[in-house]
Amino acid sequence: MKANPNYFNQILKIRMMNRIIFILILCTSTLAIGQNVLIKNGTVLTVTKGTLAETDVLITNGKIAQIAKNIRKEANYSEIDATGLYVMPGIIDAHSHIALDVVNEATSPVTAEVNVGDALNPLDVSIYRALAGGVTISHAMHGSANAIGGQCKTIKHRFGEINPDNLRMQGAPRTIKFALGENPIRTHGEGSKIVPNTRMGVEQVFRNAFSDAKIYAKEWDDYKNGLRKSSPEYNLRHETISDILKGNILIHCHSYRADEILMLMRVLKDFGVSKVCFQHVNEGFKVAPELAAFGASASVFSDWWAYKFEVYYSTAYNAAILTRNGVVTSINSDSDELIRHLYHEAAKTQRYGDLSDDEALALITINPAKQLGIEKMAGSIDVGKDGDIAIFKGHPLSVYAIPQMTLVDGAIRFDINKDPDDMRLDINPSEKFSSFYETEKSQENNGCLQDVSEMLMQESYAKYMRFRYSKNHSH
Amino acid sequence: MVKFYFRALVGIIFLLTPERSFLQNSDAPKSLGNTYFIKNCFVVQKPGIVLSGQNVLIKDGFISDISPSSKPPFDAQIIQADSMYVYAGFIDGFSNIGISKPESKDRPKLPDPGNPPNDLAGITPQNSSLDSYKSSDKSVSDMRSAGFVISNVAPRGLMLPGQCNLILLGDESADKLLVKAKTGQTFQLESNRGIYPATIIGVMAKFREIYKNASFAGNHEAKYKANPSGLMRPDFSRELMAMYPVTTQKMPLFFVAQKTKDVHKALSLKEELGFDLILTEVKQGWHYIDKIKKTNTRVLLSLDLPEIEKKKAKSETAKDSLSTKKDSVSTKELEKVEKNPEKEAFDVKKEQSIKEYLSQAALFEKQGILFGFSFLNVKPSDIKNNIRTLIENGLSEDAALAALTTNPAQILGINNVSGTVEKGKIANLIITDKPYFNEKSAVKYTFVDGRKYEYQEKKKQENKPTEAGKFIGTWTYTVEVPGSVQKGKMVITKSAGEYMIKVFDNSSPGEEDVANNISVNENSVTFNIIADMGQPVKVDFDLKFAEKAYSGSVSVGEFGTFPIKGEYESEPKLF
Repeated sequence: MKANPNYFNQILKIRMMNRIIFILILCTSTLAIGQNVLIKNGTVLTVTKGTLAETDVLITNGKIAQIAKNIRKEANYSEIDATGLYVMPGIIDAHSHIALDVVNEATSPVTAEVNVGDALNPLDVSIYRALAGGVTISHAMHGSANAIGGQCKTIKHRFGEINPDNLRMQGAPRTIKFALGENPIRTHGEGSKIVPNTRMGVEQVFRNAFSDAKIYAKEWDDYKNGLRKSSPEYNLRHETISDILKGNILIHCHSYRADEILMLMRVLKDFGVSKVCFQHVNEGFKVAPELAAFGASASVFSDWWAYKFEVYYSTAYNAAILTRNGVVTSINSDSDELIRHLYHEAAKTQRYGDLSDDEALALITINPAKQLGIEKMAGSIDVGKDGDIAIFKGHPLSVYAIPQMTLVDGAIRFDINKDPDDMRLDINPSEKFSSFYETEKSQENNGCLQDVSEMLMQESYAKYMRFRYSKNHSH
Repeated sequence: MVKFYFRALVGIIFLLTPERSFLQNSDAPKSLGNTYFIKNCFVVQKPGIVLSGQNVLIKDGFISDISPSSKPPFDAQIIQADSMYVYAGFIDGFSNIGISKPESKDRPKLPDPGNPPNDLAGITPQNSSLDSYKSSDKSVSDMRSAGFVISNVAPRGLMLPGQCNLILLGDESADKLLVKAKTGQTFQLESNRGIYPATIIGVMAKFREIYKNASFAGNHEAKYKANPSGLMRPDFSRELMAMYPVTTQKMPLFFVAQKTKDVHKALSLKEELGFDLILTEVKQGWHYIDKIKKTNTRVLLSLDLPEIEKKKAKSETAKDSLSTKKDSVSTKELEKVEKNPEKEAFDVKKEQSIKEYLSQAALFEKQGILFGFSFLNVKPSDIKNNIRTLIENGLSEDAALAALTTNPAQILGINNVSGTVEKGKIANLIITDKPYFNEKSAVKYTFVDGRKYEYQEKKKQENKPTEAGKFIGTWTYTVEVPGSVQKGKMVITKSAGEYMIKVFDNSSPGEEDVANNISVNENSVTFNIIADMGQPVKVDFDLKFAEKAYSGSVSVGEFGTFPIKGEYESEPKLF
């Protein structure tokens, strides 16, 4: 059969129209972030309260209103037929760098005052790709270049919104990034020849920063109580760290080795901080009882190690061992590629550790919700929680699972049957057509050490590298 | 009588001796008096009001009279302006006109990049554009010939480069031509990589801290002044005291916010901190029109417009004129051969995006927002074409004229002395031979502060065959970039009266870059190429040719300006 070019052109035109319409729909959906929808007749994996077969989930104004069989559909509700499909809570990724224009303010070992929330990028197509993997919430984090990094933001994947404020998850607690080990040492000790250049240096950075913040807080208290006539200098860095000491900001600490994990817990105990979530924590299995005793939680990779010397001693049983020892454990991606199949990563704990279905699903739903302080709003299918749902063909922990639809606050943000080729929301007028592989950044430029290598380069070359690898950059 | 003839004779001598004007580095001969009578012209008093058959009298730098039947005073120079149009001189809302680009320097190595001195971090709000402005800079006369009479000049720099000043675009020193000092502070989302703050999150955090501390410092100073007894003597910080008026809303903040996320940052910071915001150089601001209207935020739109590629015509001529490449089959050729449906779909999307950028001004007009223009990255010679592009995409001529005159006058607070052609205002006028927005109109005269600048029509280069011959050939080039030296060749040919320049980089054999916007003027040649550095980057060449060699500068997008030189090698050869 000869290919008729006109035929293909017509198909293309229809697809283009569909794409334009779909994107227009997405854009106009900014009017109502919370929607009304009835998901009918699916196998509902609540994660916290068991599995319910052939059950409906009713979402009103973006919140789960009812979970029961045969719920009657009201007039202004849309309907999703989930017969034969699995309905689980939207997946939560506790360690991610998508939707950010900047990841590392790598010029100082302590940068608590910066906030990645100032660099939110709702136009990042990685958000859509994450939705296609069933992920509805991610923890957009500062990188690991600094011992005390910047504040992070818990975001909802409301892809289609242009205003960065609409990505923020209202009510999510403040979080901040700490980092132990080789990354801050390489960036500052080797890079700028300043403290820290060793692990003991990293410990001192924390102690000094906390002590300075305590002195600063006392100065301001004295001023407020009238013991000082003129105000002290306002220092946003010290302000933020004293908020940490008061327990108002949750610490998420990038760490690998058991010795440094224990070190941080000692430091936090000395300064009266009780909540911490360790990230990566590849040697967590060595100190699982100590983590549990402190009340620390852990967010790990399923089976990623040996890319650096400090990540040498690792095991695929890490998540299972931590779980069995009573540590609240989650599995994260730290990657815009891995975030697309977190359900498979969670499934690996069934092979390596024999976790049950609900235990494995908890690793990517209710547990990361607890670590981010949002367990009352998300992480399970429960009345009153946000309508964040991922619908799968095949059980999510099965190797045959394929995400079908992902809802955030009841709004369908991904539908496999309406999935145009080019989902970009914003095309730069000077953008060149190029394949995915040409524009994809290298691994280093896409994870925890993004923006750092430029700091160590010549200015002109750094500008070039930034320009070369920028996506949706302000030009 | 004799006096008048003597003056006329001297005037004629001045006009006929071009070396004179060359010496003064401006287009204005020394004025013999400052009274002018513009006879029988159309006066576009303000957008929408055109008066015909008027005579305009300029005296002592002011618009002294506008009437249809007045007689010229005896000492006035008469300008026959039959069927010419007189507009209020255009006002540039924000730019770096008159301040030359600094040389690209490599980042200094600091022992503690986390605690740099303020000037390296780009925090210099105490600086003023008056310190670096030079009226002899070429950009000033270029703006003047484009019809601009006043510029709100901001200093160049990083995040807080300093205070802007409203300067008349005349020849004298800035101090003599100051319309309004300290019109506002400048804030840009720019940083010095490798020095804190290096990224936008650092810049935002630092800005908040400076703002708060400026507020405290100013309040402390005020308290101390009122009653110093018992109070600690305030530490004086130049930076903080320069920012203090912004925190009390006595001075506005010009926030350079080009894309949609930048505009969002500006509006969020305004909501958070409460300063008087003027959105500047807005390229993609239409997502926030509602918020702009609600908060009555003043806006300066950018005239740095994206170009819709006219690729098809170019690729055809390239095929015809170039002999076949022997070995290397570049990917570009492969793409030309196969039809790529993905690329076609992408091209549709891209064109749609460009259309949105080009219709932004029309959208702002429709929503009733009075905006001006800022001129950070646009060549004065492109301004009129870009405005015409905006008009083609829905902006009305009246709104365009308002954006050049009455709106910026209001935004900058000078509408009582400038912005319209009315009696009593400063004589800042332009005279065009046809209505300004016509394609073929030209600015004939510009009056800055009552001083006349005259513009002749540029003669076409074809009339001088000997000069034309001197550019044609194959030239080598050497560009010094920090860290390396780029070499290559340039082939300049001419066919059918049009120049064609192709640039060949030694490090990418088989590839060529074709020049756009070639402009030849006596010895100087300017053009630009779109280089592929992973993303397209506009590279501007500004070259001065001698007999067998040339030198000049190359501007690579935002990376800086580098020196280039080269020599004549041979007749034009193709590679």
